Amino acid sequence: MNSSDAIQTENLVKTFPGGVEAVRDVSLSVREGEIYGFLGPNGAGKTTTVSMLTTLLRPTRGRASVAGLDVVEHPREVRQEIGLVFQDSTADGELTGRENMELSGGLFGMTPAECRPRIAELLKRMDLVDAADRRVKGYSGGMKRRLELAVAMVHTPKILFLDEPTIGLDPQGRAGFWRYIQQLRQEQRVTIFMTTHYLDEVENLCDRIAIIDHGQIIATGTNDSLKERVGGDVVELRVPANAADISATLTSVPGVGEVSRDGTLYHVRCPRAEGVVSLLVRACDASGVAVEGVSVERPSLDRVFLALTGKAYREEGYDDGRASQASVFRGRGRGGR
Amino acid sequence: MFLPLRSLLKREYLRWVRAPTWIIAGLLTPILYLLLFGQAFNLGKLVPPDPRAQAGLSAALLGAPNYFSYFAVGMVGMVAVTSALFAGTGVIFDKQLGILQRTIATPVRRSTIFASSLIFRGLLVVLPIFIVLGLALAFAQIPGLAGLTVTQNLGAVGLIEVLVAIFVLAIAFTSLFLAFGFLFARVESYFAVVNLLNLPILFTSNALYPYGTSPTWLQNITAYNPISLAVNVMRENFFGGAYYPHPAYVYLGGLVLWAAALGVMALLLASRALRTK
Repeated sequence: MNSSDAIQTENLVKTFPGGVEAVRDVSLSVREGEIYGFLGPNGAGKTTTVSMLTTLLRPTRGRASVAGLDVVEHPREVRQEIGLVFQDSTADGELTGRENMELSGGLFGMTPAECRPRIAELLKRMDLVDAADRRVKGYSGGMKRRLELAVAMVHTPKILFLDEPTIGLDPQGRAGFWRYIQQLRQEQRVTIFMTTHYLDEVENLCDRIAIIDHGQIIATGTNDSLKERVGGDVVELRVPANAADISATLTSVPGVGEVSRDGTLYHVRCPRAEGVVSLLVRACDASGVAVEGVSVERPSLDRVFLALTGKAYREEGYDDGRASQASVFRGRGRGGR
Repeated sequence: MFLPLRSLLKREYLRWVRAPTWIIAGLLTPILYLLLFGQAFNLGKLVPPDPRAQAGLSAALLGAPNYFSYFAVGMVGMVAVTSALFAGTGVIFDKQLGILQRTIATPVRRSTIFASSLIFRGLLVVLPIFIVLGLALAFAQIPGLAGLTVTQNLGAVGLIEVLVAIFVLAIAFTSLFLAFGFLFARVESYFAVVNLLNLPILFTSNALYPYGTSPTWLQNITAYNPISLAVNVMRENFFGGAYYPHPAYVYLGGLVLWAAALGVMALLLASRALRTK
């Protein structure tokens, strides 16, 4: 185990009463200070994994340590070091934003005097100063999400867990939320572990990604390294219909993989398009072929998912429903008595 | 330990003061009971006014000088149950809203979460009890109104016995209903069970009318009902112990056992609900 790992799991398994294997075998490590994306369709085991890492569920088998502490042996110490943002807002609507933050500080053992400057700072960072003394039940969806972040940060956690933090937000709301996350990471030096089923979210936000499906991690790596697995970028060059065939010339350009021609279009595969595009254009010029258009297509995580699992990402139970995401208390294991 | 408890109590308090309906209706209920039932059910009027008949009534009321005095003390038991009925609702809503999950994801001790509910909900039971007793005593000073007349000199020990009985009774019923809050996931299930228990608890006690005439099996149940025990402690201190087979502290001991048993049951159900699964 690497001592600088913020989170480390080894063969983590969770089987619920009744035999549902929500998490079959998850081994991962998250480095200090990074934003780690845990991507997978609904029901893949993301929330169950987070619940084990945050001591809300006990692993059936395997080990997990968070902030260097074993989650089964030292649950209270782990809780002291982490902050949580759940899928649903868990702030008390009858209390103001500030009171919710004070409550959280108190639960982590902070005195009111310790809380005050910290809360003022976070309210400013999250643009909640004006709303701080209004009751949370009147907040908009985006404000509630920001407050959740602020509440989770009051006790200055080392690691922040975000479970589907942008579910239910519109595209602007989501983009705004990402900005706050990035700002937090820069200013507070916090490690972030986030689950999501939005591909664009991990592409734009995360340093490293793990893809989980049916309770198992099927791939881990950086955004780029995962995309390289499915052949990297594709550069498309449009040439006049009567141009001579220069496939061989293009193939000889350094950094180029496969080249194919489809009428007026050359498809040039390369691990990374940067640097290669200008070489390709120059090669065309040198061969006397005028380039009429250039475009670069980056592979999406959709394609990565398709390549790894053999099915399109969105076919797999993709919906926006919160109902299917059972929380620890509701439903799971004990029918609503 | 202290900071988390204070924070949880403050949250409960803020939720309470921001729900005026909850406060007003909660405090109005015992006052209405006293005014309506207490003034209307005047059993004394059914008895001829001659002194022997009235002495017979006083004996039937176990020494109370009139029915209102008897009833007003019983109201303490009734108010304890009706105020404690809601004790478990907060836990259920916190479960449904994810607030309980957020709370147990913090380092706060499970026993602190339980204690905060018991303390705050217990205070919401004690408060209307003191309003009832205060009003009933005040009524006695108003001509034309029936009121609670204390015929004995309580003394320090008597006063302490009465106060302890009130607090222990509040703990017993708060624990009982809080336990159901931790047990059930839905408000419907909670109130189905609470509704089932509510009136049997009240009517197997001697809170509202003397049980001298009821069948022996029912008298046996009545004798051990926690409301009867609390009410006996108070009536013996207020009206004298001539009609009671045991001194007040015996009943108080029984009540403490009830509260301990119900408190342990609630704590066990709470730790079951709050443990890591």
